[in-house]
Amino acid sequence: MIGRGRMAGADRLGENRPGPADPGASAPRDRAEGRGPARSTGGGVDPAGAAGPEAVFAAAFRASTSPMVLTDARQPDHPIVFANPAFCRLTGYSAAEVLGRNCRFLQGPDTDRGAVARVRAAVSRGEPVSVDVLNYRRDGTPFWNAMALNPVPDAAGGIRSFFAVLTDVSGTRQAERALARARDDLEQDVDGRARALQAALDQQTALLHEVDHRVKNNLQVISSLVLLKARRTRDAACREALNSMAERIGALATVHRLLYSVGDVNRFNLRDFAADFGADLAAGLDPDRIRLTIDVDAIAVSASRAAPLALLVHELATNAVRHAFPGERRGRVAIVARRRADAMTLEVSDDGVGLGPHDANPEGFGRALVGMVVRQLRGSLAWEDLAPGTRARLVLPLDADEAGA
Amino acid sequence: MTGTSLRVLIVEDEAFIALELECLLEEAGHVPVGIAGHSAQAIALGRDQRPDVALVDVHLVDGPTGIAVARALSAQPETTVLFTTANAKRLPEDFAGAAGVIAKPYSERVVRAALAYIAGRRQGGDPGAPPDGVTLAPDLQNRS
Repeated sequence: MIGRGRMAGADRLGENRPGPADPGASAPRDRAEGRGPARSTGGGVDPAGAAGPEAVFAAAFRASTSPMVLTDARQPDHPIVFANPAFCRLTGYSAAEVLGRNCRFLQGPDTDRGAVARVRAAVSRGEPVSVDVLNYRRDGTPFWNAMALNPVPDAAGGIRSFFAVLTDVSGTRQAERALARARDDLEQDVDGRARALQAALDQQTALLHEVDHRVKNNLQVISSLVLLKARRTRDAACREALNSMAERIGALATVHRLLYSVGDVNRFNLRDFAADFGADLAAGLDPDRIRLTIDVDAIAVSASRAAPLALLVHELATNAVRHAFPGERRGRVAIVARRRADAMTLEVSDDGVGLGPHDANPEGFGRALVGMVVRQLRGSLAWEDLAPGTRARLVLPLDADEAGA
Repeated sequence: MTGTSLRVLIVEDEAFIALELECLLEEAGHVPVGIAGHSAQAIALGRDQRPDVALVDVHLVDGPTGIAVARALSAQPETTVLFTTANAKRLPEDFAGAAGVIAKPYSERVVRAALAYIAGRRQGGDPGAPPDGVTLAPDLQNRS
């Protein structure tokens, strides 16, 4: 490669150097900096054999594609004493332009002062440092420099020089920034969607409350209307019919009150309904004459089946209470519901007069209504003569989700 | 039903509900002292009539002003306020001074039982548990 004699003779560094030359730092110096390794190897001289290990290192540094620079720590303001061709290619400066100068000419308007201060502090303490710093080329274009700076000790334990390896990480930086931007955009997008979903959910909840409120209020209005008409009706049969309708509306109203008062708007607990309905029914009975007992399992029924089921319980129970005990006959009415694996059973039994008189009673509408509702629920209903009394037994298949509840 | 007759103010914007309630109260032996569908009207009637009980719907002709009516009427020492509403979730935590809520849609039985319960409380007896369909205000729940 290049011999020591040639190096010393052509030392351009000497011309630029503000202080006296440092022989210890002169090993890597060369006039050929900036021209690339091709010229060095083109000389045809065997470098290792001729110049020893230091020259080999110098040649390696020159040949390296990593930009490198060496400063003299023993001179004021740490001038550059070596810059390899890769450094010149990266920065656009020739070796002649940089030798003898402090590295700060690489800084520019947007260079982070903090990063510069970190380097300065490490240099003053004689410690290695790694920073990402925005540097500027000779033509003024910026590049991100991931610089690793290491002190080079001398034999006496002092610091002879600082050796810096530069890496242009502009591409990585740009990719990182693009990634960060994409991540921010995505986060904003997700936030926006979450907010939109929450708003839609809030609106849905508000709507549900509003509709629920209206349904309940309207049921109260309808019930009031029918009751008002009943109060003003002189004909007993007519008044009775209106009161029966008001009671049916009341049963439906109870369903709606229970459906929306508990957290789950899709389920309806038959036990809660039976307790409520039973209390309403018992309020109209003479407890010494007719005793009402209710024994109903907790059965979760889907909202769509709640109203017909409630109506069915109402019809069967009122039918028993009204017609099984003519005159002053005493007795009891029992409402029992049980949950099985995939079906529920509902039994309404009394110990009053048997089936016969039921068929002829004016409450025929009630029986017809029961038939319709049983079909709607896809259940089966059987009447049984208990002698004395009657039992209506309903078997109702439960949906998969009802049975699982 | 019970021997105690209460003087009751009905604050309700639905005419049919108010009329039916009036009939029911008379049937139960109470004395309806007026019907108001508007908040200002309700507060004025309450001041004039000094009812024992005011049954107050939350939603009135002029909006969800039943709350303000309850505050004003419950400030009168002789008046006990009961809300009648389908949306108890909208009530403030302190029930605006009301003693409780009758959930709509209510049955005649619940209204009768609620008034009998209030009559019992007003006479200072041990009120026991409120009837089903009636939710007491938090401070009354703690006291009973």
